[in-house]
Amino acid sequence: MANFDLKDRSAIVGAGNSPYGRRLMRSPIDLAAEAIINALDDAGLKRADLDGLIVSFGSPIGADGDTLAQVLGLNVSAYNQTWAHGRFTASCVQWAAMAVNAGLANAVACLASVSFSGLRRPMMGGAGDREGAREAGGGHGEDPVYGMTSPGSGAALVARRYFERYHTDSRALAAVPVAFRKHASMNPAAIMREPYDVEDHQASRFVCEPLHLLDYCLINDGAACVIVTTAERARDCKKPPVYISGMQGLPGGHEEFIWAYPGLGVAQQPVFEYEAGIQPVYKMAGIEPKDVDALFTYDAFAILPWIALERFGFCRPGEAPAFTQGGRIEVGGELPMNTNGGLLSEAHIMGWNHQVEIVRQLRRECGARQVKDAAIIQWANAYGDSLIYHR
Amino acid sequence: MAQAQYDKPLPAISSLNKPYWDGLKHRELRLQKCDGCGEVWYPASPLCPACWSRKFTWTRLSGRGRVNSWVVFHQSYFRSYDSDIPYSVAEVELEEGPRMLTNLVGIGNDQIRAGMPVEIVFDDVTSEITLAKFRPRAA
Repeated sequence: MANFDLKDRSAIVGAGNSPYGRRLMRSPIDLAAEAIINALDDAGLKRADLDGLIVSFGSPIGADGDTLAQVLGLNVSAYNQTWAHGRFTASCVQWAAMAVNAGLANAVACLASVSFSGLRRPMMGGAGDREGAREAGGGHGEDPVYGMTSPGSGAALVARRYFERYHTDSRALAAVPVAFRKHASMNPAAIMREPYDVEDHQASRFVCEPLHLLDYCLINDGAACVIVTTAERARDCKKPPVYISGMQGLPGGHEEFIWAYPGLGVAQQPVFEYEAGIQPVYKMAGIEPKDVDALFTYDAFAILPWIALERFGFCRPGEAPAFTQGGRIEVGGELPMNTNGGLLSEAHIMGWNHQVEIVRQLRRECGARQVKDAAIIQWANAYGDSLIYHR
Repeated sequence: MAQAQYDKPLPAISSLNKPYWDGLKHRELRLQKCDGCGEVWYPASPLCPACWSRKFTWTRLSGRGRVNSWVVFHQSYFRSYDSDIPYSVAEVELEEGPRMLTNLVGIGNDQIRAGMPVEIVFDDVTSEITLAKFRPRAA
């Protein structure tokens, strides 16, 4: 057991972002500065108040944390950076929550900033496939020797395995990206706002089959930032705090594959019937999945929300296809998901745009896409980490 | 036969995985097998992932397995694959347990099925490197 209980001991007090777009032609550091300034303004804090920095998806593709701190003239006592790989959102917020409670810093800016349009060639597949070049294979299952490259290929492998094991298909999966696009159509900040239906989804070209183009996230430019501080200090900030009541770390090991829960049987995962049980994040927060008013998840590929729903026990293995039909995951439904439009339609800011949206939902600032009476919102991912926030 | 100009990605050979690639060159699929608990694993590790014994033997496997999952690339990421589009990549579960990514030969993309029995074929892509590919076999 933990030596000290972090439930409700930290909070997000500010959320900010740059514009999101496909060809902004602005550098990651430029975009990051805008997101940090907006987040500080949102919190009613000044540059001098900021003494912690954590950059997600940093060097070598995103904004490099060391350089960012230098050129923005920050003076931080606690700094950290995760390498250019997208899934460390919860890890960063968790580190920030621990840091402020351990006295390492008072206010920590957590952010990601990317400018893919400025890159000359793909960095996440093909000749620039740094992941695939790792010793013993890529982090998403890449093996370029056999032409297996890009993060989406590993998600496609999971999708095929899932379709076969649970007798479902791409047509059922379409409900996920269709719902998120509908949300994006209500979000002026979203890059892709034109709604589409299942037939449009099925007609979109395959990228890595069985995933269609509309199952893939956007490749774009932008930055998003949240400011984490202690619950005590949070109460003195400009807007109501968004408390962090539950956390669950990022798992690893022989039962894990990045885009699958244990037991699904991809890569070296043993095959068994997965039981979600009561995941640690719920025990810490003292709630159950049914108490969650909206669920946000890392939706780089449309299959991932299905995996996340089953992993955290919103439904049992094999039930996500039925669970996600009929508007249940849309605003106004039983469990709205990714109301910003997600990585699939708002922007791919490594999940930081989702954290910004969670804060705005809990403050009831979301206009047409506001989840009515939203009080508890969860960030929970296919790869097993989670945060529970409440107002 | 070794091809004169093979421009697709080649494996990074390390101290850990060299026996695997040496095995393929000798037309054997060899993986590490624990001398203690009998675990067979892939990719290469300095120890048995099951019991942490450092005593293992690079062991010749049957070369037989079944298709566990597969994908078909409709977008080319490597110029050297442009003319292969659409090409499949399969995850084969070996009889001995481990799964490995590979390309299937002698089968159309639309004929691939989960659970399909396959067997290894050795593809000498350069004078140094032989890749493990798989083809359908009778069950």
